[in-house]
Amino acid sequence: MGKLTPEADRPALDAVTELAREAVRPPTPEQIERGLRSLRARLAAADVRGRTRRQLWLGTAVVLALVAGLWAAPGLRSRWSGAQPAVALDRIEGGSLLDGGYLSESGHTGIRLFFNEGSSFALTPGARGRLRELSRDGARFGLEEGAASFQITPNAARRWSVEAGPFLVTVKGTVFKVSWDPASERFELVLRRGHVVVDGPVAGGGIPLRAGQRLVIVLRSAQILISEDAAADESAAAPAPATPPPPAASSPRRAATRAVAIASGPPAPGRASEPRRWSELLAAGRWDEILAEADRDGTDAVLKTAGSEDLLALADAARYRRRIELARAALLAQRRRFPGSPRALDALFLLGRVEELSAGGAARALAVYDDYLARAPQGAYAAEALGRKMILMNGLDGPAQARAVAGQYLLRFPGGSYAAAARALAHGP
Amino acid sequence: MPTRRSNAPLSLVIGGAARASDGDLAAGLVAGEEWAISESWRRFAPMVLMTAERVLGSKSEAEDVAQEVFCRVFQRAKTLRRFESFRSFVYSFAVRLLRAELRRRKRRRWLSFFGASPPDAVDLRSADLESRDLLRRFKVLLDRLGPRDRLVFVLRSMDEMTVDEIAEAMNLSSSTVKRAMTHASDRLARWVDADPELAAMAKGRPWGS
Repeated sequence: MGKLTPEADRPALDAVTELAREAVRPPTPEQIERGLRSLRARLAAADVRGRTRRQLWLGTAVVLALVAGLWAAPGLRSRWSGAQPAVALDRIEGGSLLDGGYLSESGHTGIRLFFNEGSSFALTPGARGRLRELSRDGARFGLEEGAASFQITPNAARRWSVEAGPFLVTVKGTVFKVSWDPASERFELVLRRGHVVVDGPVAGGGIPLRAGQRLVIVLRSAQILISEDAAADESAAAPAPATPPPPAASSPRRAATRAVAIASGPPAPGRASEPRRWSELLAAGRWDEILAEADRDGTDAVLKTAGSEDLLALADAARYRRRIELARAALLAQRRRFPGSPRALDALFLLGRVEELSAGGAARALAVYDDYLARAPQGAYAAEALGRKMILMNGLDGPAQARAVAGQYLLRFPGGSYAAAARALAHGP
Repeated sequence: MPTRRSNAPLSLVIGGAARASDGDLAAGLVAGEEWAISESWRRFAPMVLMTAERVLGSKSEAEDVAQEVFCRVFQRAKTLRRFESFRSFVYSFAVRLLRAELRRRKRRRWLSFFGASPPDAVDLRSADLESRDLLRRFKVLLDRLGPRDRLVFVLRSMDEMTVDEIAEAMNLSSSTVKRAMTHASDRLARWVDADPELAAMAKGRPWGS
C-alpha cells in the first residue's frame, strides 16, 4: 500500500492497514457458486412476489372481493389459501429476534422458533444463529456456532436451508440436528427423518443423506464420516451435545461406524457452563469489561466454571491488558478442563506467547513451543510455533543455532509469516 | 432447421460468457438472458464481497450485502445508460448499501444502550495470532469513525480506489472525499499511535514476510 497521503508518514497505520487489506482473502470458487445458488433462490422468490404483485394490480377488484369473502368465511379462506400460505414466524421462545435476524437468548435454555406452517427450530443453550431470510416459501437460517435441531414440515414447494459455517444444508421435509464449531471447524448433521443435501468445502458437489445417517466433517483434516447408527434418533432430539469430538483418525468417506460422538464444543465437566458471550465483548474491543466481570465473579470461580470459548476470550483479554498471571491461569484451565479438544492445543501455543510476555520467559516459551509442535505438528499454530521457536533460539542461543530451525521452517512454510526472517537467518553470516 | 434469432443485442452461450465484455453483460441482463446473471455474479461478486468484508469486518454480513447488491443491480439494470460502465454501476450499489449498513450499525450502537447488541464479530480465524490481535484492535478503532469517513478510508487505502472513483460511487465531491480521507487517516493514526501495544505490534513486524 502506498502512503495514505503524500506528506503523511504514518508507518504504524500503514502497516496495520496493509494487514487489514491482506486479511481479506478472495472468495473460493465454492463460495462463489454457493452465493450464486442463494442469489438464484432469492431472485426466484422475488420473481414470484413480483408476479403476484402484478396479478394483484390487474385483479384488484376481484381480490378485494375474494379477501372480503375469505374473511367472512374462515372455512372457505383456509380452503382457498391453505394450499400455499406464506411462511411466517409464529413465535419465539427463550429469546428474541434482533435487528438483522440475530437471535438473542434471554436465559440459558436455548431458543425455539415456531413457524405458522408447523416447522420449528430449536437452538441449544449458547448456540448462536441468525434468521438470515424469511420468504413466503421458507427460511434461510445461519448457524454461527453451536447446535440446533430443525423440524421442517414436508412441502415440495418450499425452500428451507441452513448454513452452518461454510456448509449449506438444503432441506425439504425433515427432522435433523446440525452443529458447527468454528474453532475446530467441525460440522455435524444427524438426520432423523426425510432427506437433505449438504454442500460445502470437501463435500464434493453435495452429499445426500437419508434418515438415520450422521455426517461429520472436520475441515481442518478434510475428514468426512458418514455413519449409520441407531443412536442418531435420540441424539437428534437431545437438547445439548455432551461429548468431545472424536480423535482425528483417518476415516474413509461413507464408512459405516457404530458410534460417532456429537459435539459442538467441549462442555464443562460436571455442570453446564453458562455462556458469558465474552467472545463478543472481545471482538468489540471491550476487554476491560471481560476482566471486570471476571474480577467481580471471582477469577477462581470463573476458571472453574466458564465455558471453553469464554476461557479463551478471557485469556486473550488478559493478554491484551498484560495481566499475565490471569492469562496463564485461563489457558491452563482450558487445558485442564477441556483436554483433548482443539482449543486445548490452541491454549498450549498461546501459553507460549504468554510466557514470552513475562520476564525471563523466553526459555519457558521455547519449551512450550516444542511441546506444541510435538503434540500438533500439523496444528493450526504449527507455523507460528516454529516461527516463534526460531526467533527465540536466535535470541537465546544465537543465529547459528536458529539456522537449523529456519531451514526447517522454510521447508514446511515457504510462504509463512516468518519466511522472510527465516531466509534472512538461513542466508546470513 | 432455421435458428430463432434473439431480440437481445448480444447472445452468448454460457461457455463464452467469460469472454463477454462488461457492456455485453449489461446488455444480456437487460435482455433477460440467464447467462448474464451467473456471469455478472461470478465476475463482480468477489470484488463486492471483499470490499464489504473490509468495510464491515464480517464475512457473513458481507455475503448478505453482496446478495442485496446483486438483487438491486438486476432489478435496476434497465436504468443503466452506458453499458460499458456496468462495473461502476455495480460498485455504486455496493458502496451505497455499505454506507447504509454502517449508518444502521451506528444507530444500533446507540440503541444498544437500551437493549442487547447483536454480535459483530470479525472472522479472523484465517489470520495468524499476531495478525488477529492487531486486526481486532484496529477494528475497534475503525468502529470509532463515522460511516462516511470509514467507507472513504477503506475504499481508498484498502481497495485502492482513486479519489474520483470514490467520489462518483458515493455521490460526493472530490474535495469532500479528500477531506474525509485526511480526517479519517489523521484520527486513525493518532489512535494507533496512542495505543502503545498496537503501535509497537504494527511497527515491530520485521519478521513478517
